[in-house]
Amino acid sequence: MIITNYMRSEHRACDELFADAEKSVIDGDFTKAEEQFLLFANETLKHFKKEEDELFVVFESITGNSEGPTRVMCFEHEQVRGVIGKMAEAIENRDKDSYLSLAESIMILLQQHNMKEEQMLYAMCDRVISQDKKEETLKNMDKIEL
Amino acid sequence: MFSQGGLSLEQAPPISVVLRFFITGSIFGVLLSLFILFNSFYQLPLFSSHIILVHLLGLGVMASFMFGAMFQMLPVIAGVVIKIPTKKALIAHILLSVGILLQITAFSTSNSYLYLFASIILGGGLLHTSTLMFKELIKIKDHSSSSKGMLFAISSFIITILLGIVMLLTLGGYLDMPYLLELREIHYSFAIFGWVTLLIIAISFQVIEMFFVTPKYPNIMTKYLIITLFMLLVIKSILIFRSIDTILIDIVFSSLLIIYAGVTLHRLYRRRRPTVDGSVWFWRFGMGLLIVSLSSFFIDDLRAITYISFIGFALSIVFAMVYKIVPFLVWFHLSNQGYMEAPMMHDVIHPKRVKIHFFVHLALFTLLIINSFFNFLIVYIISNIVLTLSFSWILYHIVMANRKYYHIQRSFTPIKW
Repeated sequence: MIITNYMRSEHRACDELFADAEKSVIDGDFTKAEEQFLLFANETLKHFKKEEDELFVVFESITGNSEGPTRVMCFEHEQVRGVIGKMAEAIENRDKDSYLSLAESIMILLQQHNMKEEQMLYAMCDRVISQDKKEETLKNMDKIEL
Repeated sequence: MFSQGGLSLEQAPPISVVLRFFITGSIFGVLLSLFILFNSFYQLPLFSSHIILVHLLGLGVMASFMFGAMFQMLPVIAGVVIKIPTKKALIAHILLSVGILLQITAFSTSNSYLYLFASIILGGGLLHTSTLMFKELIKIKDHSSSSKGMLFAISSFIITILLGIVMLLTLGGYLDMPYLLELREIHYSFAIFGWVTLLIIAISFQVIEMFFVTPKYPNIMTKYLIITLFMLLVIKSILIFRSIDTILIDIVFSSLLIIYAGVTLHRLYRRRRPTVDGSVWFWRFGMGLLIVSLSSFFIDDLRAITYISFIGFALSIVFAMVYKIVPFLVWFHLSNQGYMEAPMMHDVIHPKRVKIHFFVHLALFTLLIINSFFNFLIVYIISNIVLTLSFSWILYHIVMANRKYYHIQRSFTPIKW
């Protein structure tokens, strides 16, 4: 389960960064919120990149299926990217209500997405990818930068 | 062929699948409160009024909301895709709504044909929907604690339904069942502690940690709590049939649930997300009421509090979920369809509105608990007016969310991408 554990811990780390930014917005400290939001956005987008450039590629090459679950996940990544853009706009405009509303939406969207990955896709990856290949994929993912 | 584990682009069911159940659940809630008000002036026989009340609440309100939530959550939490969901939800919805009305009329008139029709239509409708979900859940290869919990909850519901059908046919004179009292106790145990409680626990294992960014539930709890509770229910049923006292089972069962509620409250207290919206309050209040309900379970003089606080627990969690699901679905579906005008969640149901409902809910259960001690007619009538207000409030907001969704679809053109 090394893929599931690695990716799940990244999900949780992003959740914590998200919560920090949300707290600062609620406190009205937009300067701090901006920094924390940037951290959340960067980590989330880097996580997506790791999946799209490494993990999904390996999974698709083994299963021969690029139209299945990985395509769904990539589609959802696009949705999240769209909301992140809107949140950046809200934070720039110091629009607390709009930010919190978008935060609620992205939280549910992301958590639904994470549940599907953790319970299905990563479990499939752990099943079909060989141990050596999994270790190699994790190493390659560690090297990825935005 | 390689399994896609239920992931598909079309996996989210149409919004109408979910909202039809939520609207029906709220309407039955309003009917329930009107029935209680009506019954305080024109009293039906005690048996009829109790059984109508329990079924309006258990099936009309709880089953409607829970079916709606299950249609939405199965693809997400368990990766289960229900094919042609619109048609299946429509069938389930019609059979459930008509069946409940038939059943209530049967209870109030004791007409044997109505008992027969109710057992066929309501029993058939509920069995159709629950076995549909059961068949999909049982196919899962990598079960999470939530999907496994849902499987036990649905199994409990199937047991409840089968016993319910047998009892309806017995009441109608079509069966001669000698153990009716025992069956009734098992029927209620599986409905309340199996279906409702296990489902809430299963969902909470996923929702609390992920949506409020809390520490994880202890592994021992997520792995063994639900199966232990289910097994205790099975053992309790056997003891009931053998006329053996179930007090020991009840103590263990209640203690486990109190620990679960305490752990959930602790998770919520340690959550990383700072928002204190109505949903968090509903969860906290619900868990508090669960503790009150089970702590008072063994004191005969407090039996009314046990029932009232258990109902409060279940409704609190239902409201907490509905106020998250409805605004999210309106935003999610419209955004996915390419409507730039898709309202944000707060524009669908503003958190302030949810907070108002929470205070109404809080007032309601405070009044009901006060009334269980003093039994003043005026408090009773006021609490029923507040109950009507509570269900009318959620009904209004779901209907308005639904209207907003269709208004945007009719008035704007989506962007194709």
